[in-house]
Amino acid sequence: MKRTLTALTLALGLSAVTSAQAQTTVTFWTWYLSPKFDGYIKDTIAAFEKANPDIKVNWADKQDSMVQDFISSVNLGNAPDVVNLNIDETQKAAQNGFLRAASDLTSAATLKATFYPQSLANFTSGGKVYAYPWYGWLNEGVLLYNPDLFKKAGLTRAPRTTSELIADAKIVKDKTGAYAWVPALKDPNTASFLGYFYAEGLPIYAADGKAAFDSPAHAALLGQFVDLYKGGYVPEDAVRREAFQLATELYAQNRVAMIIGGPQALTRIKDTNPNLYASTVVTGAPLGKANVQTGGSMALVVPTASKNPAAAAKLAAYFTNNANQLAFAKVVPVVPTTVGAQSSTQFKTTSSDPVAKATALVGASGRYINPGYKAPGNSDDLYKNFNDNIEAALLGKKTPQQALTDSVTYWNANMKK
Amino acid sequence: MRIPWRQTLMSYTFLAPALILLAVFTFYPLVYGAYLGFTEYTGARFAQGLGPKFTGLDNFRTLAGDPLFHTAIWNSVRYLLVVPVLQLASLAVAVLVNKELPGMTWFRAAYYVPVVTSVSLAAVMFEWVFNREGVLNWVLTSLHLTTPQKAIGWLNSETWAFFAVMLVTFWRGFGYYMVLYLAGLQTIPQELEEAAVLDGASPWQRFWRVTVPLMRPTILLCTLLSTIAALRVLEEVLVLTNGGPLNSTYTALMYVYAKAFQGFDFNYGLASAAGLVIAVVALLISAVNFRLFRTDDAAEGS
Repeated sequence: MKRTLTALTLALGLSAVTSAQAQTTVTFWTWYLSPKFDGYIKDTIAAFEKANPDIKVNWADKQDSMVQDFISSVNLGNAPDVVNLNIDETQKAAQNGFLRAASDLTSAATLKATFYPQSLANFTSGGKVYAYPWYGWLNEGVLLYNPDLFKKAGLTRAPRTTSELIADAKIVKDKTGAYAWVPALKDPNTASFLGYFYAEGLPIYAADGKAAFDSPAHAALLGQFVDLYKGGYVPEDAVRREAFQLATELYAQNRVAMIIGGPQALTRIKDTNPNLYASTVVTGAPLGKANVQTGGSMALVVPTASKNPAAAAKLAAYFTNNANQLAFAKVVPVVPTTVGAQSSTQFKTTSSDPVAKATALVGASGRYINPGYKAPGNSDDLYKNFNDNIEAALLGKKTPQQALTDSVTYWNANMKK
Repeated sequence: MRIPWRQTLMSYTFLAPALILLAVFTFYPLVYGAYLGFTEYTGARFAQGLGPKFTGLDNFRTLAGDPLFHTAIWNSVRYLLVVPVLQLASLAVAVLVNKELPGMTWFRAAYYVPVVTSVSLAAVMFEWVFNREGVLNWVLTSLHLTTPQKAIGWLNSETWAFFAVMLVTFWRGFGYYMVLYLAGLQTIPQELEEAAVLDGASPWQRFWRVTVPLMRPTILLCTLLSTIAALRVLEEVLVLTNGGPLNSTYTALMYVYAKAFQGFDFNYGLASAAGLVIAVVALLISAVNFRLFRTDDAAEGS
């Protein structure tokens, strides 16, 4: 009996060791999601581990130092397996060889069946898809406005075009003292002003791939923003701070009348100024002459240095599938990037609550998510040069035309193919 | 005199831990960093598992032709303006708080608080100070030195942003150097001060004729530390102005940081070459400091 028990214990022990050895541990890094969305992330990981008992997920949330930590981890030989990056960083990482192509890990047919074509195009570099598109947002998705400031300014409706928006900017500031909105003039580490060119139907690149954003029409558009800035119709800090963050902060203080962009600002306004949140009006945002949306998206990528690419691909596909993206959109008003979201009843409900209203407005519009330009090779240098030139125009050191011509010259001399 | 080998061995055994740590964390990175300055080592090479490729002086040629690097180096050299002001102010305050008066301990601690304050916290605080609608403009308006219409956005002004950031460096470094000077002052023999009093020297004469000469080694140390700190200034610039407006606060270390760490397009070779140039500038300025503040003993020795 004693011998049987010993044998049984040994067998159980051995099987435990074998199963532990068979289990793959996948390291998963998200970006700015903890602690606010811990519940959603942890629940999704638990469901994934239950469905894949041979895979264990180690989750960590990164914030400011995400890209630096990613590079250091590759340097130290302990790269994560699944990493959350945005469109721009994914393009840069793919161009430099840091990522495995998602289209090499998951069949092209599955990717096409799951995600909008534009979402896949956003993460395509050199003909390969490098990411599993995750949640997104539309820059012109919704417009939130403060009805009291609108009334004070004598405005009866929200602007519907960029021209109306620029005209309203002057009216609001002159009549109320508050700013009408905060344009994305030069958000750090991107070339956000290029988005305005795209929205107005002006090209960023020529057919041969060279930079081409210096036509008189481009300069005239930039000139309109320069006039706004010089006239004091735009907060000065917009040249050194991220526009959406600045807008959210000032809106809650009644110092900005409108926020254009994703409804995710609403959750913050709800926390900082509940009364203003309750009275905030949610409506469609103005569009440029091209009548197109711009927007951004997050994605999950698998680094070249991942030691468990197959398991990593499984986790990335699971987190970004239709059901899980829809579940995330219930927690926070993000825009899913899955084809299935278009037909979801989740976004067809009506409500007077601003968040629910905004979610209903944009939730099923993931197919429009498009930043309007792709990161060029050597983009860190090129973006810095572009932003320096935009700033020179805003501060009156260069004419809009000179600033854009200088930038295009620099881009075409320094852009890596 | 011949030292027994056992004693020599024993000395090196005791020195070994420190030497190993220095070798691993100081000398090796220094030599390797200097070597990288002469190589091409970009994000793309790194991601493909390729090592650095020797390219001679290419990176230095790139730096010589890069107007942004010229601006960055010039700004860092201009930033050294903070050094004499910081040193004089902290020495003066150290002399003031080196008195056994009620409340002096509180003052010493209060001056030290900024040293242990995080940069991000300091940045938020100084945003409130320097904003167009901030504290500084409010004070100036209250004193009728300006009007709300003429208020300056200090961090958005090409002229003022540089001095605004410098003030934050001053604010953060002041307490640190004051403590060093305080320690130096307490080593000055009391008899010398008393003798000067008996000789009828005024407080001003005592300060220049007794205190300052005896404080020369401490002044040299603090000036060197402060010079190197000014050449390496990064955090306050990053969080307050990100180098702007129009690169007027873009410093040499920001250039190194941008080239080495800011994204997937990094270029370790170019960043290391820029680091080497900054190190040479720091060495040259340190040599000038040594010359200016050498003690009489050292001068006689030379």
